[in-house]
Amino acid sequence: MFGLLEDAGFKRVKSAVVPGFRFRQQSTQNSAEAYGVKAVMMTAEKPAEA
Amino acid sequence: MKAEDQASLEAVLKDEIIRMYEEVAEHPEGEFHFFHGRDAAERFGYAPEWLDEAPAGAVASFAGVGNPHERSNLQPGETVLDLGSGAGLDAIVASRFVGPTGRVIGVDLNPSMCIKAQAHAAATGTTMECHEGRMEEIPLPDSTADVVISNGVINLSFRKRKVAEEMYRVLKPGGRISITDIVSAKQLSQSIVNDPKLWAA
Repeated sequence: MFGLLEDAGFKRVKSAVVPGFRFRQQSTQNSAEAYGVKAVMMTAEKPAEA
Repeated sequence: MKAEDQASLEAVLKDEIIRMYEEVAEHPEGEFHFFHGRDAAERFGYAPEWLDEAPAGAVASFAGVGNPHERSNLQPGETVLDLGSGAGLDAIVASRFVGPTGRVIGVDLNPSMCIKAQAHAAATGTTMECHEGRMEEIPLPDSTADVVISNGVINLSFRKRKVAEEMYRVLKPGGRISITDIVSAKQLSQSIVNDPKLWAA
């Protein structure tokens, strides 16, 4: 997603992991961790001259 | 994946997404594989007063994965677009920040969720306009919003590149996004991609 935002033209793309996110079921959480699934916060800006 | 296969899968997925999130909205007491409602919102740092002042139905139906308001820096008078606005909690929170001179716009795949979100906003004394539409074809003109927020929705799209392009298009020059979403470090298996229930999760 980070790269897609940059490709779209966004600048100052930043991301951080959302603390505290997890799936309710442990089995789902385990599968998610196996795939490196996590919740992230992303911010980005459209240039003023765009 | 062939284009026609993807289109077919997208159609099935749309139905599954509508079904799942309607289920959350209509039966928030149910057990889902994700945390939802007030517990989830508090876990992500939503202020208690935001939740106390919002209609119970909007809070109970919350199914976000984070807190896009944490870094949105919304200012009075700004126009904010909530992409995938659901039952309206994030739009209602946004309206607190942009105030009566601001404008809050929701876009949701499900027209009944738009009606619900607008009713929830009205119950708080705020106005929210909601448009039925896809995030890959946002039904708004170019340069409409100062800020786009979104919470746990973009991951549901098969065409995330198009979503990013659409967010860019509808933002005013100098505008910004603040989104929270699910990402995967590894390519999901085809069995997951082809299963609408798993993808909609």
